[in-house]
Amino acid sequence: MKRATKSKAAPAAAATPRRDALTETRVWQVYARQKYEEPLHEIGAIVADDVELAKVYARSIYDEFAWVEMTLIPREHIVTVIAS
Amino acid sequence: MVSTAIDNAALFAVLSSLADNKQLLGRRYAHWSNGAPSLEAAVAAAAMTQDELGHARTLYPLLEQFEQGQADLTQLDPMTRDARYALAALDHEFLGWADFIAANFLLDTALTTFFAAAQDSSYEPLRARARKVVQEERLHLTHGEGWVARLANAGGAVRANLVEALGRWWDETLCWFGPDDDPTMRRLYDDGMIDATPDTLRSRYLAVVMPVLSRVGLDEPVSHDEASGEWRPTESLPWARWDATTRRLGVIS
Repeated sequence: MKRATKSKAAPAAAATPRRDALTETRVWQVYARQKYEEPLHEIGAIVADDVELAKVYARSIYDEFAWVEMTLIPREHIVTVIAS
Repeated sequence: MVSTAIDNAALFAVLSSLADNKQLLGRRYAHWSNGAPSLEAAVAAAAMTQDELGHARTLYPLLEQFEQGQADLTQLDPMTRDARYALAALDHEFLGWADFIAANFLLDTALTTFFAAAQDSSYEPLRARARKVVQEERLHLTHGEGWVARLANAGGAVRANLVEALGRWWDETLCWFGPDDDPTMRRLYDDGMIDATPDTLRSRYLAVVMPVLSRVGLDEPVSHDEASGEWRPTESLPWARWDATTRRLGVIS
């Protein structure tokens, strides 16, 4: 089949090794609630380098309940006040 | 006894193609539910598998309502059906994760473009299904967009694999809408079952995928008219190899 796509140089400066390119490292804590009168609570975590993919993953993985709200917080933004 | 079956070969053919493409997309996606690059991507692949097979499952029963479907009842059930109205690119397993993403981003988005045009269809069963499919497909498009950017930005062999995969799906996906004078799609348009002609559907589709590809430096032979907002392929599509009944490419004879 004809190859139609013309590829310019990748925006990223250098080619990333294949394994590294497909390995995601950014962790997002997932918070959700089933009822408006409930507070958000942590239901788990997912790994995704891209925020839009993180949303897809969170919805796919934590789909066991009909949540009324779900939010993601990048783990690196969480500040520990009292360490365990 | 008077038959209540619908006699509409055009609608029957398009519904058959939608069902077969959804069914095979689901089966191909399923293969990657335990082979994706990460656990998260695998779960997303499984979720998309369920969606695609679910869409197919709501479409096949519609075929029973048509006179064209009564001719051979074995063709109404995906378990016994041997007619192939899905893209030829779906005949074999994906060659790799890049193929998964190309099918997800290009083909699935093309089918969604059709369903979006059928949300006010004069054929109620299609109208109801179209609205649900469009809603569920939002997540699939986000997944495709995210992974196209991720693979393209990785550069090197990863980017090259993506480029090759997109090339494998590009022409046949654009052909699926048919030439602008395609009597099948024209009949659907004239009957108010969809709100656009083939060229308009193709333009709407390109308006979705092209900005994503352009952002990561992947250029396709497509022009954009700023004034009219229309997108058009600038290279001729392989219509000589395209089968208007099955809406798929054949081999070069």
